[in-house]
Amino acid sequence: MHVPDGLMDPLVAALGWVEFAVVAAVALWLSRSRIAEKDLPRIAVLSAGIFVAQMLNFPIGGGTTGHLIGAALFAIMAGPVTAIIGMTVILLIQALIFGDGGLTAFGLNALNMAVIAPLTGWGVYTLLRPFAGGDETETSPFTGFGPVIAGIAAWTSVFVAASACAVELSLSYAVSSGTYGIASTIAIPAMLGYHALIGVGEAAITVGVAAYLWKVSPGAFARPVTEKPAAGLARVMYSRTVQAAIAVLVVFALALPLYFVYSSEGEDGLERTMSDAGADDGEPLLSAPLDYGEDYIAALLAGMFGFVATSLAALGVLSVLRSRASRAG
Amino acid sequence: MTMVLGHIKGQHFRAHHIDEHARSSWLWRLDARAKLVGVLAFVVAAALMTRPELVLASLCLALLMAASSMIPASHLARAYLAAAPFILIASLSVGLYGGLGKGLAMAARTSACVIALLVLASGTETFALFAGLRRLRVPALVTTLLMLTYKFILLLGEELSRMMVARKARGFRTGRSLADRYGLKVLSYTAGMVLVRASGRADRTYEGLKSRGFEKDFTGWRSVGVRAVDWAFLAVLIAASASLVLFQLEVVAWPLST
Repeated sequence: MHVPDGLMDPLVAALGWVEFAVVAAVALWLSRSRIAEKDLPRIAVLSAGIFVAQMLNFPIGGGTTGHLIGAALFAIMAGPVTAIIGMTVILLIQALIFGDGGLTAFGLNALNMAVIAPLTGWGVYTLLRPFAGGDETETSPFTGFGPVIAGIAAWTSVFVAASACAVELSLSYAVSSGTYGIASTIAIPAMLGYHALIGVGEAAITVGVAAYLWKVSPGAFARPVTEKPAAGLARVMYSRTVQAAIAVLVVFALALPLYFVYSSEGEDGLERTMSDAGADDGEPLLSAPLDYGEDYIAALLAGMFGFVATSLAALGVLSVLRSRASRAG
Repeated sequence: MTMVLGHIKGQHFRAHHIDEHARSSWLWRLDARAKLVGVLAFVVAAALMTRPELVLASLCLALLMAASSMIPASHLARAYLAAAPFILIASLSVGLYGGLGKGLAMAARTSACVIALLVLASGTETFALFAGLRRLRVPALVTTLLMLTYKFILLLGEELSRMMVARKARGFRTGRSLADRYGLKVLSYTAGMVLVRASGRADRTYEGLKSRGFEKDFTGWRSVGVRAVDWAFLAVLIAASASLVLFQLEVVAWPLST
């Protein structure tokens, strides 16, 4: 999912940078009160641990392998703000030291893997956690059906991040009339299909790591408990559910500008393609898919539908399990 | 995504050696700031190129930079291969729908960008690069985390490779598919163990840093001024990038066009 430079349409890449800059500024601002100086080595260790864990290949089948992104694990362990900063640091090292993922594309790469993935993972985990039963306090995330929830959160984070990447690639293709990006007919099935499977491995490993840590070193999850504000907006914002709902809304908000770019530029691009078609000296091996619009909206809808459907299915399963458990008890 | 792995797998365990390539290059002696800004300018320009002759020109410039940097070609090639799957799929997709010319342009454009970035990455000492970022006003929180994280990556990478050897010695083999629960369990416990062992280190690191006068930012980096050579390097790269953009936007006519 590390997109190199020169692949995305410049407009889409610039939009990615703007969106990422806004999110990063907010995260840095929030970190002032949340990250103390003595936390820095711990965050660095966690980032390094996730980086190294990304090097563990797991087999998918048919000879192919995948590996962890770790954004959901990071966010569940350290909270969304720290996860955004830590994942950004990981991506910076990958881009600057290993040349993996581009500089102009860094905004989009960071948006997908350092913002959308952790926010989705954390949001899904936190929203579903109350349904999992068990001990619900901050310091014991893996009692009851906690591990199941963590797995669902991990899978969703990978799938939503891959959908975002696929949409960006298709959008680049559509607005540049086929000069940049990857056609949606290739990008969407390839990215989503592959990452639906990767997500299963991600979920298994996230649950495994989390269960291991919880057993061996429960302190790893301990986060300082802040005092509940007395009243007003601060009190509403204190609620984890509200915070998680905001995280999920932010993910959707980040997708909106992409849609505006499409609706304002898409037609121009299409018209240009059609007018250029006569003058184009290249010989297309396949006819161009003319209806980019439906593909893109379909992708967006599919992503949103997948997200909502997974959440609902998980809620359903959990409420059944919970009512059984309470009846048995 | 798998490319990350192949990429790092080949390089990471030899992370100490990355900087050794750097040492063989004149590029290494330049100021990290000049390299960062210069290569960024070039990559931005190269990513904007759509006219075939200009895409080719930017690829030639990137190759020239790579060749003159004296970084071993095998090293660059291995790192380049990691990005190859994305480049290949994108070029094929664009080529299938838009014609051979567009496909080749895509391949050349992405290659030019990747090669330029790899020259920056391989031709700069890692910690000098981070210090350069800090001097370019990247927030201290980010650069401090970059330094600490990289330090821990080297430590944990070694730890992980030792555990891989131990796993092999016990006769563990990776499973064939996602259905292999035992394999996934071992992998996740390995990752968990790496994290646990590392977290003990984190506290000691903090104590160590504190006793050396650490205060949220690594101060006291060699404050070397930007020398004439650095300015010259930066000027050449920015001039080349700017001319590419001017040719692309047809502000100035491309002299070699037929």
